[in-house]
Amino acid sequence: MHFLGLPLASLAPYMAAAAAVAVGLYILKLRRRPVPVPFSPLWTRILRDKEATSLFSRLKRILSLLVQLILLALLFLALMDPRSAVEVVKGRNLVVLVDTSASMQASDGGGERGKPRIELARDELRKLVQGLGASDRMLIASMDAVVTPLTPMTGDAARLDAAVDSVKAVDCRADLARALRFAIDTLRNVKEPEIVIISDGVLGDPRDALGEVHLGETKLSYVPIGTGKRNVAITQFSVRRYPLDRARYEVMLEVQNLGDKDEQIELSLYGDDVLVDLSKLSIKAGERLPRFYPSLGGASRSLEARIAVVTPELPRRDDLTADDRAFAVLPERRRTKVLAVTPGNTYLEAALLLDEYLDVNVVTPNQMNDALGKGKYDVAIYDGVTPSLKPGLPALYLDPHGNDGPVKVDTKPTPEPEFDAKLERKHPILRWTAFDNIGIAQAFRLTPLEGDKIVGASNAAGPILVAGQRQSTKFVVLSFDVRQSDLPLRIAWPVFLLNCINWFVEEDAEYLSSFKTGDVWHVPAPLGVSSSAVLVDPHMKKHVVPVQEGRAVFFGVEAGFYRLQAPEGTPGATSQDGVKRDVLFAANLVDPTESAIAPKTEITIDGKKGGVVAGFKVGVRKELWIYLLIAVIVIAAVEWWTYHRRISV
Amino acid sequence: MGIFDFLKSAAPASIRARRARAVPEGDDLFDDAFQRKLEYLAIVSRKVFSGRLRAERRTKKTGSGIEFADHREYAAGDDFRYLDWNVYQRFGKLLLRLYEEEEDLSIYMLVDASRSMGFDFHAREGAGATGKGPKIRYAKRLAAALCYIGLANLDRVSVSALSNRVKERMATTRGKQRIYRVFQFLRSVDAEGATGLEDALKQFVAQNKRRGLAVLISDLYDPEGFQEGINVLRYNKFEPFVLHVVDPDEAHPKLNGDVRLYDCETGDEREVTVTQSVLDKYAAAHEAYLKEIETFCTNKQVPYFRADITVPFDDLILRIFRRGGFLR
Repeated sequence: MHFLGLPLASLAPYMAAAAAVAVGLYILKLRRRPVPVPFSPLWTRILRDKEATSLFSRLKRILSLLVQLILLALLFLALMDPRSAVEVVKGRNLVVLVDTSASMQASDGGGERGKPRIELARDELRKLVQGLGASDRMLIASMDAVVTPLTPMTGDAARLDAAVDSVKAVDCRADLARALRFAIDTLRNVKEPEIVIISDGVLGDPRDALGEVHLGETKLSYVPIGTGKRNVAITQFSVRRYPLDRARYEVMLEVQNLGDKDEQIELSLYGDDVLVDLSKLSIKAGERLPRFYPSLGGASRSLEARIAVVTPELPRRDDLTADDRAFAVLPERRRTKVLAVTPGNTYLEAALLLDEYLDVNVVTPNQMNDALGKGKYDVAIYDGVTPSLKPGLPALYLDPHGNDGPVKVDTKPTPEPEFDAKLERKHPILRWTAFDNIGIAQAFRLTPLEGDKIVGASNAAGPILVAGQRQSTKFVVLSFDVRQSDLPLRIAWPVFLLNCINWFVEEDAEYLSSFKTGDVWHVPAPLGVSSSAVLVDPHMKKHVVPVQEGRAVFFGVEAGFYRLQAPEGTPGATSQDGVKRDVLFAANLVDPTESAIAPKTEITIDGKKGGVVAGFKVGVRKELWIYLLIAVIVIAAVEWWTYHRRISV
Repeated sequence: MGIFDFLKSAAPASIRARRARAVPEGDDLFDDAFQRKLEYLAIVSRKVFSGRLRAERRTKKTGSGIEFADHREYAAGDDFRYLDWNVYQRFGKLLLRLYEEEEDLSIYMLVDASRSMGFDFHAREGAGATGKGPKIRYAKRLAAALCYIGLANLDRVSVSALSNRVKERMATTRGKQRIYRVFQFLRSVDAEGATGLEDALKQFVAQNKRRGLAVLISDLYDPEGFQEGINVLRYNKFEPFVLHVVDPDEAHPKLNGDVRLYDCETGDEREVTVTQSVLDKYAAAHEAYLKEIETFCTNKQVPYFRADITVPFDDLILRIFRRGGFLR
């Protein structure tokens, strides 16, 4: 037996004083209340019988004193916090990493609907907290794409219990290496360090850019969670519009059976919440099934894919539903007003006819000012003329001359230049194009300003394709006459034109149909937003997110549709039609590793196998003082009852 | 329990016994209402004996009274005046007429003035003012009433206050107008001292050679036994008449828990844990004690009345009238 509470030397004077007080009070209790009676011989008569029991009565009184002294002894014993030698372990410092990744949403526990793994994890965590030793300290951290400590390192069971309830699973994978490094850093230079991982083992490789994680002397324990592995998941989902037919789009998705049984599934595709396609598929165990839906139309913005397991003679659901849905958003498509100023260019006019969403007004240079004065345009194309760049009207300059344009143009042409010096193939205006080996009769050297982007350059002529912006108005300058080249004969010509128009009107050619959960998202911010934007998550909860370089930055862990809004009162946040220019985007789990939910019964990190948790007497409080205190209360209650029933007086 | 209560409780028994004396009596002990009741009772007592000689009591002695008692044969030397000539004329025998000797009766009021008689149970139990007061108060009013009736009947009345001795004594007196003297005497009597009936009555007998009616008004709480005291009166040719003053609440004391009981007269102590069963036993013992007294008096042909202090004293006196024994 060990005593971990107050030492006896400290308690002894208090014990003596309390005992003295108890005895003193007992003596006072023995001094009975004197009451006069008119004729005591009458009392003598009736008390004659009681004389025989006086010895017993005295014993009972002594018993009363003894009970009081026992109560005091129990109280002081409780203060000394006795523990059996077996139960006394050295104070440990524990970091409990609770897996909160998507696989922990699997409902493969007991019950008809299945208890989620995260709930089982909470139960196990609660047991650990309840079985915590008096000198142990614990830190609870949730482990998903990031590590979030839910408590400080503490021995306060109430605080730890409160943290247990806040453990929730999210729609992203777990970053084991990051979590382990956090735990090791936390346990650096402390005694008896131990990492406890509560997980289904779907954790990936404990390795990151710094290499494998080394545990050192830290003890590793593992609490396995989960039993099931039946899961069919959507592991890829993307959508894009056709560049030359933006009214239509194509969808690519991949379904994977990560269980060990063949399954039948219903695959549904919804566009703007309307069923677009429904197909029934058989998918073998472990099979990966890509599906391609070309030339779809109808939906304007949102797309959602859903799968439902309909295998006969098996429950009509798999264990993990988080990966049974995937979301995507089509790039926004709106009509663009284009002013083409040209003395006459059939190639240009023909190319602009390809996109039905373009409202093209072709005017001669003489009519240009009238046209600009009468109507509002989103884009201007100057062919062979070089007016100055109008604020708010992005422009494509073809074959410019003079110094009125956004960049200076040499007066001396360079014969037969090629894009042999530089070609920024990743620039949005060159997407899906091939400008190599274009035959050009002559071109003029451009002199871009600082901050302008040289997209294409020739060794002979220097920069001949430049993009940039002046006071937030974008421009592209191509310094040769396309009719004096073979570019209009290539497919790259109309694509280049449309790329330029899209770039001008923010129809991003690098558009991502969805983001991946667990990553930091850089979402194009609505027009006019400079420092912060409002993000509405799938639960309609609003977050204020920072905006850097025109993109809102957010770390998302939940799949679904999001909406990015400009803060109230932001100029330009509403279109001329009064419609808010919100940005809609989607986020998906689509992670085959996380969807492979088969639990692992053991894990090995840095050559160490995760052991079974030990030193926790789960479910029973080891502190004996609690029981001593309960005994004190019970004895006091019995003594009170017997006293007032005149049994122990 | 406050500190002062504790200090009081720690005081010696003798001091506590002194403290437990009777509460002071009010000045209205013999007020006008009381005196009107006395007059009424005196009238009633005369009606009881309507048609007889009044204002006199008769002894059992034969002598020179006026009421015929018996005949006896003439003997030489007898007074001729008492010869019954009518009998001689009819039967030819000389018979002498005998008359009951008339003599004024002596009534002795023996009021127990020990401390137990002053024990005010109600005031002590905190039951509030009930108007009853201690037993001595009732005893005094009873004694005063009986004295008045005696004085009104021209009897010789004497009052003595007893404890374990004759504490005070009012000399024999007669005549209605002396009732105020009786009042004065009774007012001056305090309930003090221990009860000792035998010693006190022996002293009384020694002081009073003239025999008569001895009305003992007492609670009979005599540690040495009430019997010897009554026997002293009987053996000395007094006619004992016992009025047993009883406070019914004394049979049901409101006690609970651990207490130390002490006798208000002797200071004897007993530690008791009072429970309901103990209270029940005490009530039974109290009743048995009263029965014991009553049985004793009945056996010895001593008139006995239980004077319950909750019963108005005039009702009790009327009951005494109806029963007889006090008025002849």
